[in-house]
Amino acid sequence: MQTLLQFVANGVVVGAFYALSALGLTLILGLMRVVNFAHGEFYMLGGILGWWTTSRLGLDFFSGLALVIVVMGAFGWLVDRLLIERVRDQGEEAGILLTIGLAIFLSNTALLTVGTTPLKVEGPMAPGAVFIAGAVVTKARIFAVLTCAVLMAASWLLINRTRLGAAMRATFQDPMAAQLAGIRASNIYACTFALGTVITATAGMLLASIYSAQVSIGGLVSLKAFVVVILGGMGSFAGAIVGGLLLGLTEALWGGYVASGWVDIIGFLLVIVILVFRPYGLFSRRSERA
Amino acid sequence: MKIERNVLIAVVVVALLLGAVLRDQYVLHVAVMVLFYAVLASSLNLLVGYVGEFSLGHTAFLGMGAYTAALCATHFGWPMWLTLPAGGIVAGITGLVVGAITLRLQGPFFVIVTLAFAEVLRLTAMNWIALTNGPMGLAGIAQPAWLAGAGITEAKLFYYYVAVLLLAVTVYLSYRLVYSNAGRAAVAVRENRYVAQSIGIRPLTYALLALGLGAFLTGMAGGFYAHYISFVGPEVFGFPFMLSMIIMVLVGGKGTLLGPLLGALLVTFLEESLREAKELRLSIFGAAVMAVVLFMPRGLMGFLLRRREQRAEAVASIARPESVA
Repeated sequence: MQTLLQFVANGVVVGAFYALSALGLTLILGLMRVVNFAHGEFYMLGGILGWWTTSRLGLDFFSGLALVIVVMGAFGWLVDRLLIERVRDQGEEAGILLTIGLAIFLSNTALLTVGTTPLKVEGPMAPGAVFIAGAVVTKARIFAVLTCAVLMAASWLLINRTRLGAAMRATFQDPMAAQLAGIRASNIYACTFALGTVITATAGMLLASIYSAQVSIGGLVSLKAFVVVILGGMGSFAGAIVGGLLLGLTEALWGGYVASGWVDIIGFLLVIVILVFRPYGLFSRRSERA
Repeated sequence: MKIERNVLIAVVVVALLLGAVLRDQYVLHVAVMVLFYAVLASSLNLLVGYVGEFSLGHTAFLGMGAYTAALCATHFGWPMWLTLPAGGIVAGITGLVVGAITLRLQGPFFVIVTLAFAEVLRLTAMNWIALTNGPMGLAGIAQPAWLAGAGITEAKLFYYYVAVLLLAVTVYLSYRLVYSNAGRAAVAVRENRYVAQSIGIRPLTYALLALGLGAFLTGMAGGFYAHYISFVGPEVFGFPFMLSMIIMVLVGGKGTLLGPLLGALLVTFLEESLREAKELRLSIFGAAVMAVVLFMPRGLMGFLLRRREQRAEAVASIARPESVA
């Protein structure tokens, strides 16, 4: 019972990060239909930038986070306007190859700049742990999970309660009609891409405050995010969150009770099963398949 | 069609003749890798270029072929001329099974599910230590007995000729598939799925055929790789191989038989020459990939073909001046 609770607690922490990074991808993959293989690299950049702002620039955690959000938002905007926009109507292949090229470029350039050492972001919480119903959870982890929850709520409000969000929803329902109503579609695409980038980079910085930021992490993060988006359903907000928690919990329990070496295989098996039996995901309301 | 056939025959003949000239070990190794990648890219092109589905799981078949050949050679002592077809057949069967499950999906779903299959196989190879020896891989795959007495250059030359043979088989089978009714049916599906269905073409059948043949050829190449390097590890299922293949197909020009061969040649040479740049190598490579997508979206063959079309149009407009006026 004691160990079960501990596994669940660990699973929720990891799941919250899966959910947050998948939230970024569900905007880019689910709504914009860009199979973004550079997603994990955006996550990695968030962690690296977070380390750079907090330990090199000497900012405190929250100012560092704000700076990372601004920089990565601008970066995502530029990537969309300069690269993605030019292949938007050419099917998914061009986008895949383009983002793979971008991923190779980013990860190798980051490797040259900061090297292979794991980089730790100093979190705002004092070290220490609390007991929740018998499971040990460090304060830093609780803080990170809470921040995840706040960010998710903020993105939900942005999409569902603001003018920008309404324009986004309109554009992805029907780009032509949205343009006729005076929405600048190219602007909205870039905004969505930037939002996805920011969410993902924030997840990267938060996780770096618990574990550490590593340059080589990108590929694995991309794959996990794909898994969660497919699990939850393309473009589904709730699906990304539930899917992320589900994957985190399953992996923690499987790793704890069955075999730790096979943990990474679960996600891929889940994807195959889901795509064969429920190709529109567990939680998507629209029963579409591309 | 006739030009394409003649050029393909010329490519194989030139490759054969080159074997008589090449003596440098490094050059021979690069040449073998070009041929190996040409086989991989051609077989992937059958699916990507002719059926029009973008697979990121082709390394599943490469790995199945490589492991099958390696296991047959080390456990049962089979000779190379048996292990290569065995690898091909096992990979082909894997292709049919995977295809029957995944080809019902399209677009981004197909991309991700094929990637998931390759990853599942990679993790299995990594963790099923009793069979695959895990991350340590299978080493010491037997070479043909007579090679033991020969020098390194002779051994490389032998593998060079085997690779040329493999390429000839690949080109021949691809050509026969593409210019058969089945190939034309696959192209019809690629161009417009609903129209194709309305005239009685079952998309799944022809997609499976192309995938099965592609997997068979890739599996043979995998078996060849296992013998040539004489080591197989879980990396054969990995993403880097997939990346090379897909870049070769798209750089060369998908949907043409010559494109992947051209792509294999260009990309292998690019990778080798970038060794000079050391750490910057992958950054330049990534930037080059992006540049190709942005500025040459139909690949090199598409670029050449369009030049020819434009010239033909120019000639036609000169021949009929009244139509211009």
